[in-house]
Amino acid sequence: MASKKILLVDDSCTARLVNRMVFSQKSNYVLISAIDGKEAVDKAREEKPDLILMDIVMPRMTGLEACRVLKSDKETERIPVILLTTRGEEKYVQEGYASGCSDYLTKPVNDAELLDLLKAYLGE
Amino acid sequence: MIGTGDGKRSPIKVVSRTNQAEPNTAAPNGTEELRLRVQQLSLREQIERNHFLLMRLNAANARLIQSLEQGDAFEAIAEIIANLIGCEEVAMFDYHSGEQNFSLAWTSGVEAAAMQPFLCGAGMFGRTVEQGVSQYRERQPETSLLPHEKTLTACIILKSSREIVGVVAMFGLLPQKSQLEWADFELVKFLETYGAVAIKFQRLQGKQVSL
Repeated sequence: MASKKILLVDDSCTARLVNRMVFSQKSNYVLISAIDGKEAVDKAREEKPDLILMDIVMPRMTGLEACRVLKSDKETERIPVILLTTRGEEKYVQEGYASGCSDYLTKPVNDAELLDLLKAYLGE
Repeated sequence: MIGTGDGKRSPIKVVSRTNQAEPNTAAPNGTEELRLRVQQLSLREQIERNHFLLMRLNAANARLIQSLEQGDAFEAIAEIIANLIGCEEVAMFDYHSGEQNFSLAWTSGVEAAAMQPFLCGAGMFGRTVEQGVSQYRERQPETSLLPHEKTLTACIILKSSREIVGVVAMFGLLPQKSQLEWADFELVKFLETYGAVAIKFQRLQGKQVSL
């Protein structure tokens, strides 16, 4: 069975490095990445990932905007989007879910909990 | 982990074998099995936590190495603090050991003007350099904090060998984070040395270019 593909979207190089490290050590998921919402939308259409893990505050296009675009596109609407951000305020959480995300996590994330959540969506 | 005596490592097997061979042990079987299970879970959790910490330290190190090429050591340190520790309000100060004074080098999420009082090098901030040790707000008596230090969370000493390179002042934490945790202190220790080396490298490179 082919490995599941995750699109990781974050403008922080540190966040991308940590997730790459954790996923490569602790899972069989294939990780592709984008550095802002615009690139995420393009890559999602091109690569058809099984799940998108996306930051909110990013240049060019925010995670919220990207999520809305992805959910309004027939090609990408079914891809689960998990928002992963430093913004933990209720206002942002509500906006996150209103944009169509499936889950909303705050940084700094607990790596074990993140992997458990991904397994719930994608299996081992 | 607890060995089974047959070279395999599975405490749950140990429990069932022990129960079969010695049914009349002092503790009731159920209690002993529960105790071993709890011990096993605790060990597994500690192993996992350490594994995740190593991965975080490794990623932080990779980011600092990347900064050597990009010349963005301050940004790399701020990114590590934001993403891995959970604080987005950071100021970094250069320490000039010759004149024993500070200059503001970089800020993120705080006003540069509000950092002026720190330059006098007093209070918890000053003790960081005096003692050469990172200082944490939670370990300071409230009375020892100066008025402009009330929102400080930590002052991280940046020290390479014996040379103090600077101080990172962390203000507050993200709203979803109530306090610094075990792994955060380990990341701070990492930044004390590796962050200092990255900044020193950047300074030396700047000097080299200007020659």
